[in-house]
Amino acid sequence: MNSSGSAGGGWRLPRHELAILAATVAVFVVTGWLDPNHTYFANWAESRDIIVRNTALLGIIALGASVVIIAGGIDLSAGSMVAFSATTCALVLMLCAAPDDRRLVTVGPAGIAAAVGAAMLSGLLVGTLHTWLITAIRLPPFVATLATLVGLRSFARAMCLFVTKERWGSESQQINVNTPFFAWLKEHNVWIMAGTFLVLAIVTWLILSRTVLGRHLYALGGNEQAARLSGIRTENVKWFAYCYGSLTAALAGIFLMADSSVAQPGTLARGYELNAIAAAVVGGCSLQGGVGTVPGTVLGALFLRLVIDAVSKLIKASADVYEGMIVGIIVALAVTFTQVGRRGQAGRAFFSGARGLAAIPTIATFAALLATMAAANVPVLEGRTGLFGVVVGGITLVALAAIRHLESRHAS
Amino acid sequence: MTPIVAFRGVGKTFPGVVALDGVSFDLTPGECHALCGENGAGKSTLMKLLSGVISDYGGEILVRGEPVRFRGTREAEAAGIAIIHQELNLVEQLSAAANIFLGRERRTAMGLLDDTTMERESAELLAELECPVDPRTPAGSLRVGDQQLLEIAKAVSLASDVLIMDEPTSALTDAEVARLDRVIARLRARGVTILYISHKMDEVFRLADRITVLRDGRVVTTVDRTATTPREITSWMVGRDIAAHDFHGSRSPGAEVLAIRSLTLPWPDHPRGYRLKDVSLELRAGEILGVAGLMGAGRTELLETIFGAAEPTWTGEILLDGRSVRFSHPADACAAGIAMVTEDRKRLGLFPDLDVAANVSLCSLNEAVRGGLLSRSREESLVAGPLRETGVKTPGPHAAITGLSGGNQQKCIIGRWLLVKPRVLLLDDPTRGIDVGAKAELYTLIDRLCREGLAVILTSSELPELLALADRIIVLSEGRLTAEFPRAAATEQKIMEAATGTTNHVTI
Repeated sequence: MNSSGSAGGGWRLPRHELAILAATVAVFVVTGWLDPNHTYFANWAESRDIIVRNTALLGIIALGASVVIIAGGIDLSAGSMVAFSATTCALVLMLCAAPDDRRLVTVGPAGIAAAVGAAMLSGLLVGTLHTWLITAIRLPPFVATLATLVGLRSFARAMCLFVTKERWGSESQQINVNTPFFAWLKEHNVWIMAGTFLVLAIVTWLILSRTVLGRHLYALGGNEQAARLSGIRTENVKWFAYCYGSLTAALAGIFLMADSSVAQPGTLARGYELNAIAAAVVGGCSLQGGVGTVPGTVLGALFLRLVIDAVSKLIKASADVYEGMIVGIIVALAVTFTQVGRRGQAGRAFFSGARGLAAIPTIATFAALLATMAAANVPVLEGRTGLFGVVVGGITLVALAAIRHLESRHAS
Repeated sequence: MTPIVAFRGVGKTFPGVVALDGVSFDLTPGECHALCGENGAGKSTLMKLLSGVISDYGGEILVRGEPVRFRGTREAEAAGIAIIHQELNLVEQLSAAANIFLGRERRTAMGLLDDTTMERESAELLAELECPVDPRTPAGSLRVGDQQLLEIAKAVSLASDVLIMDEPTSALTDAEVARLDRVIARLRARGVTILYISHKMDEVFRLADRITVLRDGRVVTTVDRTATTPREITSWMVGRDIAAHDFHGSRSPGAEVLAIRSLTLPWPDHPRGYRLKDVSLELRAGEILGVAGLMGAGRTELLETIFGAAEPTWTGEILLDGRSVRFSHPADACAAGIAMVTEDRKRLGLFPDLDVAANVSLCSLNEAVRGGLLSRSREESLVAGPLRETGVKTPGPHAAITGLSGGNQQKCIIGRWLLVKPRVLLLDDPTRGIDVGAKAELYTLIDRLCREGLAVILTSSELPELLALADRIIVLSEGRLTAEFPRAAATEQKIMEAATGTTNHVTI
């Protein structure tokens, strides 16, 4: 079995998973120490709840994304699927509630079951639609799920307007959900979501590493033509993969609706698909397909959320501003390290030639700007943010130039 | 005279295979030098070294007396060496003119593309090569022969003085071959040195001044054409130890298992119109049927159609045990007892991310399931049988498949199919890219399987292989069945004649 991890990887954690685990612990310790309030050590419970909840939410979607990626595809529609599922759930609740109940508090157990069932069914339908577009129409997965990424959210909004108008006589862009069951879910969101995530992770791990279907998923992603010529009905395997991707997003949609007490299809879970794919990639899934593990994806999701939280602790700014940057940097670094670790890639020069030369000031400029902005949130550096930025940029410039110099000496 | 190109002790090893070993010979300026050898003799590898596709090799190459080591085709082109690959290197969506000038486009004073000049120059080049195509035609819509001339036009426009042609006639019609001969004569008149790679004796003796024969990566000899005969060259080429194994001796075929009646597989958007035309054959249990044919003759398509992997547009009849079958998916063929080992192992057979055991067990995983879950120990005992039977040398069942040699990988794939206990085994060029020792082991294995009652269809681009293994040999040429020989009546000469379409249909 390759060290990069694939089917049935045995009991020991492969190197990649160990590396993420080590990085996670390192970020935890360093942040706890650098943070002036030492929140992680002093008041762990508060941070823990936020990190666990966010990791579970991201992880649930990332597990679905991993299955699709391992099968050699990609699902860009997860964020819209979350919104679509949440809207479906809320609309069914609305139809089961009393006609004048705008807070949806009067829904009984049967209505709740129907709403949850409808939300999951919406996932199954979208997964089936994806499979059909990809296998029958032969759209590339990127195109098929790009279409639903754009289309599903709009569809959910239209559905929301239509049903609210029909039911209440006035159009609404959102539906408030104060149903006691979902309020209970919200109250215990951390541990219910964490528990769901854990169960889903175990189920996904069993499927991927211990079933025939799982092996076929790896085979399909690793070499689709060979899989077909080995008598694997690749269309059926794809069907499973895309349905699994949509179903996990649908599940996340129910939790997210409960958590915010509202289904607002216009903004709900915008961009979540990219974070889920990022978590899978950080966890070792290869976008070429055929490679990836559940432990890797779980750790990838945990690592991403921890770093996002750590940065918000350190620079006291709202986490969501920096989230995209953090995810971007981590994805690039994680994949770089995986590639460097592979045989035949070691010793390759990163800064050679004109393009390498151009990259050095580019990266230094970004580093300087980032340092300046970050310094604005650190009390010690008040009034000296510009200087700090210039110093960081200068150090980056010198360091990269030194790397380039070493590389060129190494090559000759 | 200084040789324009000289090879000095050139060697190249791929994992598990020595492709070239101490190759030394010269090209004299202006000559047409033929390089002969069977498939796998190392001809193409040698050309990749000379044209800069491969740059890590032993020994040295001298161009005009200077040692060189090209790190890309661009560097080789700059030194005046151009190669016409067997698989043509064109951007199909771009026009003929754009392909000729790709990477060194002519520009106007404004810095914009100067299509007018490029098209005019292309038209001149193509006219000179007797290739009357509009330079604005997309390269992909040209016939193969014209596409090839496009590559030659590119080489001519680069003012190359060494032109390597890698089996240029493998996909050409007779008229196109005649035209190519004239083009070669014209290039030589300008002083271009031509290195012509082929295993077709008539071409070699028509065109070459000198002939170098490669066998198993070594130079057998370099001779003047006038000092030798086709028979002698062939004997140097094929002087392998294959004939020593004579496997078909005491086999006794049983009942008919598979029959094909007038199979026709259409080929839309192609001038020929069909990939296979009116092909009929029978196959008995315990028999090996060899299918010979040049590249593109339809060997793979024939096997894929039987296996349900081709487009389901074929007509005719396939009878398995006398019952008409029509598989729409390889899974159906597999369930009916047909197995197929594909031609291109890397592209169509191997799962590089899965380990050895997973590669072998893939088609019969259900047997390794206990209580709905895959059992690792069951899988290991499942694959132990075929791994032993096929003689795979592996550090263990969970070793990376990519770490095995080509021969062992192929044995793993055959093992995969043996696990489904097939009755008909389709082997599409199973020894391609495999070293000599492993080939002999595969022959023994195929022979043993056949003696155990398996019906085998074997295609091969190596005729000695078919002659050593097959009970009967059919020959395909451009999609048609042109000959059928019992083993005793078959010779390389007769098969090659039928494969190149130089004789009419013969049945002996």
